[in-house]
Amino acid sequence: MIVRTERLDIGYGKRVVASDINLDILKGQFVGLLGPNGCGKSTLLRTLARMLAPLGGQVRLEGRNLCHYDRNELARTMAVVLTERFAAGMLTAFDIASMGRYPYTGLMGRLDSADIAKTWDALATVGATDLADRYFNELSDGEKQKVLFARALAQEPEVIVLDEPTSHLDARNRVDAMLILRRLVREKGVTILASLHDIDLSLKVCDLVILVKDGRVISFGPPEEVLIGDNVAALYDMERASFDSDLGGIELRNGKGEGCVFVVGGAGSASRLYRILSKHGFGVITGVLPENDIDYYVAKATGAVVFGERAYRDISPASYAMALEGLSAAEQVVDAGFPIEPANRPNADLVLAAVAKGKTTHTLRPDGESRQQYGAQASRIISSQSVSALLRRLFAVECLRLAG
Amino acid sequence: MASIASSSGGEAAISGFLARRHARHILVLCLLTGGVFVFLVLNVAIGSVYIPAMDAASIVFRGRESSELFGAVIWDIRLPRALAGLLGGAMLAVAGLLLQVFFRNPIVGPGILGITSGASLMVSLVMLGGLAVGAASLGPLYLSAAALLGAMGVMLVIMAVASKVRDILTLLVVGLMVGFMASSVGSFLVAFAEESRVHTFVSWSLGSFAGFRWDEVGIMGAACAVLCSASFFLAKWLNAFLLGENYAQSMGVNVKLFRYLVVVLSSGLAAAVTAFAGPVAFIGLAVPHIARLFLGSSDNRILIPGCILLGAIVTSLCDLLARTLFSPVELPISATTALFGAPIVIGLVLKRRTSI
Repeated sequence: MIVRTERLDIGYGKRVVASDINLDILKGQFVGLLGPNGCGKSTLLRTLARMLAPLGGQVRLEGRNLCHYDRNELARTMAVVLTERFAAGMLTAFDIASMGRYPYTGLMGRLDSADIAKTWDALATVGATDLADRYFNELSDGEKQKVLFARALAQEPEVIVLDEPTSHLDARNRVDAMLILRRLVREKGVTILASLHDIDLSLKVCDLVILVKDGRVISFGPPEEVLIGDNVAALYDMERASFDSDLGGIELRNGKGEGCVFVVGGAGSASRLYRILSKHGFGVITGVLPENDIDYYVAKATGAVVFGERAYRDISPASYAMALEGLSAAEQVVDAGFPIEPANRPNADLVLAAVAKGKTTHTLRPDGESRQQYGAQASRIISSQSVSALLRRLFAVECLRLAG
Repeated sequence: MASIASSSGGEAAISGFLARRHARHILVLCLLTGGVFVFLVLNVAIGSVYIPAMDAASIVFRGRESSELFGAVIWDIRLPRALAGLLGGAMLAVAGLLLQVFFRNPIVGPGILGITSGASLMVSLVMLGGLAVGAASLGPLYLSAAALLGAMGVMLVIMAVASKVRDILTLLVVGLMVGFMASSVGSFLVAFAEESRVHTFVSWSLGSFAGFRWDEVGIMGAACAVLCSASFFLAKWLNAFLLGENYAQSMGVNVKLFRYLVVVLSSGLAAAVTAFAGPVAFIGLAVPHIARLFLGSSDNRILIPGCILLGAIVTSLCDLLARTLFSPVELPISATTALFGAPIVIGLVLKRRTSI
């Protein structure tokens, strides 16, 4: 047990931000803190790093009360990477990283050859040795973050506390930063405590996540067990979006503004359609999808009405009948261009049924394929060669309908 | 893994880089030390009475007893003044450096905490107010004592605030406001004072190294030695503080003690100069920047010696100009330091490639 909190209350002065926090963190774990802005993530991290005194309870580091550590001893056990920016003036990246050796050096902070070697190793671990002799202020955000990781690492800590380590970074640097931290956990056995904003990245890098909301730890455990169902949407009070742990991302639920579109999909052909339709505010009904189909997951996550069929089964007449009823409620129908196999043959019939009912029917299949599949009816199906062209036509029909 | 493989080679490279940089720092410091001696000699040799450089040198080396013609000029006037200029410049530059690091703000100087204003207030009370009874007969040391008292008074207020307030910016604002209040009281006194006294006060408030006596130089020298070496031993913490208070704390810096020490040292340095020479503008603000550029580093372990030497040089130069430019009229020291310092600061702020 490297870090443990017992009935910890945190906050500033008299104002309690969160209370009764009980956490157990093992050595070599990557722990992510998630929660909305202002929920107390930073306050908790600052308390764990002894930048704030606990208002109640205690923090134990390697079994000892955090308050009993002397300054240098604590600095040798715990390092931090903060969000605050600073003007380092004319200091090089090496100078900054070598400050990590301060708890080990004498009065004047003179580096001996071992200190230089350790600083160099830290820079090598984060892949920043080529930055060593450049001025820190002239580095990009991603490079600066690497140097700050190296500085923390040069402190040879057991625990590194990071406050939103990815917040200023672009997509690539974000991933790089996470990979570096993961490597520290694996190769150096460092324990990482980080507040994070990317839920999808947390799911992929964390061993444990702590969900903080409204002054309480609402959940604490492996992300695979915690970031499921509606937990994430509830954590951030997201009503118009959802997080799907299987898809590992956030899907927007923007529907019900425009008219309703029935999408006939399957085998992943319709996933991007659900997203784009949801983005533009169309209500989506879809079917018939096997429950193990990617389209099924995306449709669910974007808030579509989904008619499903059990996995690895042919579409049953009952499922077909229900989907047909759903189709009647829609203004327009889209054939996403799914592969037609014996198991999902009824879906092709759904498209023909839509034409027969006089629904405006679109397809993303090339003309030739459409004619081959739907025969004579193909002439009554509007063919679009791209999703954007399809979207334009959907809007056009919708406008006519509203005007008429 | 390529970086690991080449790690030993890279490590040798960085050691070489550090060694070269260290050599450059030593070279610059040696040159600056030479500069200090050059300006000391110039300040002793140049003046309204012409003294050949060789004669001046021989008088200095043979000591006070020499019955040379110019002995009195050099030993009673020029040498104490030149030394006071060197010491005062060194102390102001170090005070400025400490405050720039502490406030993480490149445009603060020793005036910022209201220390010089406190000194001015006490001096104005002595010169203009009711405390003036018999002041003239008590001599200049009385004036210095008053200035020191004023500076220390403000320093105590600032320290009391510093122990209560966590936020450094708040401390900065309090310092500025205390300074404004002190100068406001000074203005009151000026408004109601006699014309001739106002003139004396105004010329004091512009600062001057004229008329320094050996006992004053002695006090200043002792203060300089103690406070500057204490500042030097604070260099590691100052460096850590460049990353901000929270990082400094995470690297084992006792932040509370550090704040206390910086306030005491910078106020002490500024007070010791202001007490004897009056407020001297811009040295504390401009010299740390010039030193950073000369040394190419913000490492305070090298900047503090750099500031001591460069502060001494720049102040000597400014004092020399103040004395000689419009001789026999002597300019106040702040006139030359501001003329010298302000353009440098403007230039630096406009073209800073890496922020200062």
